[in-house]
Amino acid sequence: MSNDFKPNIVGFLCNWCTYAAADLAGQSKFDIKPSINVIRVMCSSRIDPNLVLGAFLWGADGVLVAGCHPGDCHYEKGNFYTRRRFTQMKKVLETLNLDPDRLQLAWVSASEGQRYRDVINAFTDKIKEMGPNPLKPNPAV
Amino acid sequence: MSDKIGVYVCECGPNIGEAIDIDKVIEAISPIEDVAVVRRHKLLCSGDGQNFLVDEIKNEGLTHVVLGACSPKDHEITFMNVATRAGINPYLIQVVNIREQCAWIFKDKDIATKKAIKYIRAGIERIKYHKPLQKKELDANPDVLVLGGGLAGIEAALALTQTDRKVYLVEKSADLGGSVMKFEKLLSHQGFNLGLIKEKVDKINSNENIEVLTSTNVESVIGFFGNFEVTTKPAGEEAGGKSFIVGAVVVASGYNWFDLESTPRYGYKKIEDVFTINDFGRMIEESEKLKLSTGKEPKSIALVHCGGRKELGYCSRVCCMQMMNIGNYIKDKYPGIEVHELHSDLCVSSKNDQKYYEKSKEKGINFIRMKGVEVGGKAGAISIEYTTLAGDKGKLAVDMAVVAPGMIPEAGTPQVADMLNVPLHPTGFFKEGHEKLNPVGTTMDGIYVVGCAQGPKSFMETLIQAQAATGKIFSHLIPGKKIEPEVKVSEIIEAFCTGCQTCLDVCFYGAITYDEDKGVSVVNEAICRGCGNCAGSCPSDAIRPKHFTTTQLYQEVVEALRE
Repeated sequence: MSNDFKPNIVGFLCNWCTYAAADLAGQSKFDIKPSINVIRVMCSSRIDPNLVLGAFLWGADGVLVAGCHPGDCHYEKGNFYTRRRFTQMKKVLETLNLDPDRLQLAWVSASEGQRYRDVINAFTDKIKEMGPNPLKPNPAV
Repeated sequence: MSDKIGVYVCECGPNIGEAIDIDKVIEAISPIEDVAVVRRHKLLCSGDGQNFLVDEIKNEGLTHVVLGACSPKDHEITFMNVATRAGINPYLIQVVNIREQCAWIFKDKDIATKKAIKYIRAGIERIKYHKPLQKKELDANPDVLVLGGGLAGIEAALALTQTDRKVYLVEKSADLGGSVMKFEKLLSHQGFNLGLIKEKVDKINSNENIEVLTSTNVESVIGFFGNFEVTTKPAGEEAGGKSFIVGAVVVASGYNWFDLESTPRYGYKKIEDVFTINDFGRMIEESEKLKLSTGKEPKSIALVHCGGRKELGYCSRVCCMQMMNIGNYIKDKYPGIEVHELHSDLCVSSKNDQKYYEKSKEKGINFIRMKGVEVGGKAGAISIEYTTLAGDKGKLAVDMAVVAPGMIPEAGTPQVADMLNVPLHPTGFFKEGHEKLNPVGTTMDGIYVVGCAQGPKSFMETLIQAQAATGKIFSHLIPGKKIEPEVKVSEIIEAFCTGCQTCLDVCFYGAITYDEDKGVSVVNEAICRGCGNCAGSCPSDAIRPKHFTTTQLYQEVVEALRE
């Protein structure tokens, strides 16, 4: 069954670093797994934990929140807030019976197209091993 | 009027055209509610493509436009201008990235096509919740506050002078000129003519567009780019302060010296005839004679570099050349005196420095590379014990030692940083906006940091920075022109705000204040940069970052997960 399983991942990428890295990965014509669905935000700190919860409740098999490397935030220290917020968020996922590793934080700078590819592909493989999100709504809906 | 959404898919030559089955995309997108037209074009960013879009928007009476094209980082602005030309609000355009993040990364055409449909559909659902946003213009005061009257401040104040712009140059000491003025003789020996700086000071003093406030402290700076309210107070007095408004602030508050007395390693103030660079410079200024405490001329001098580098954890970069200059001064005036320079990494970074170093060696200066040094003994028999890089111990007997203390932030730097709401670097100096990309800016628009206030700098680097900040101000704060603050700022919905003030804590621009009367937080749109951290932290969902609202992002989430 795990072979047929095609994970669906929501990726919130910050405009300045990781979104630019995703563009660079494209310009470099890297092979990236189609599991990723990119949503652009100005800063990773914009991501309200409710949005992540919402994504899981709508059936996301994994959620990626990615921004600039700590200390390199375009808005000085937004990503420090992100880091703290989502470390706590992982605890919340446990109470929902979701593997906290379904939520991943990553720091990918604008020049790291290759790293972007590696993050997406490795996260996809990890989610594939975990199997589908148990909270996924009935597909009939 | 109901929405009429136009969707246009750009072939981008073969880039999208060959990787994605655009006909299939059009077929899938057309039935979506509110979508009026779906068309393809060879190259939307071309002049022809832009004209095509303008005509389409006008002829079809479109209210919103979704473009399946390249990354918004490439052409979002191009298409926003197209929207304006066609008479619709530029924020009612959504550029969906189906090139970099779709056509170019999914090699299977079927997969790429499906993903493109998903992304465009997300764009359509998102744009239904877009609101037109208006560009705002604010009056800006072109005047500038220059904080500090040293080399950097003088250069900036003078360079900023132009008609219609007043410059306030505030210096806490009684004179302009800063630390360089103390070493006229030493510096002139190196060919650095302080007369040039004095000339600049004279020009400043006689310039009616520059108001010089010496023996004055800045008490407060409140506001934002284009509109800072400044109050000053004469040093040591209660009354006589001024208040005025400026549009920008240049911080040129300088540096201080590492206290050599704080470590016993250098024997400073314990052993007579151990000097700092400053003491030595002062001695030259006073008499141009080298004298020991006994009144005699020294026979051998050790110049000890890197004073306090271990404690500080950084290299002050300019002391190597200063010490070499002192060595040259001694050798030129007193060829008989032995000169030893004990250095760790020799910092000879400008294009003339290497030659100067070689010339210094030819003059007979003895350079010793060491990794540790201790100054001991007593007056008349000072002993310098050092460890070479190889770990060998060495010893020198001299009758004078000059130690170069590292540069540290000027006292009061944290208070100034706090007043201006700009961050400090871990070393305690001011932190630049970005080490490489924004070297004189700060996190606050309109506040610039130049010279040694930002870290150890040579004269040249200091002048370059002062001129760079001037250039920034010239291009961003033009007399008579209004400024345009960020449009995509956060907005607080008063009805939802519980007044918890979490957003005040997380906003590092200080853009949010608390309205005591209403019990709600308020965003100052002139300061807000639109990162959205406040929205991410708001427990009652009362904050909407414009153009990145939760509702808009939610549409993208839902479409991403639609089977």
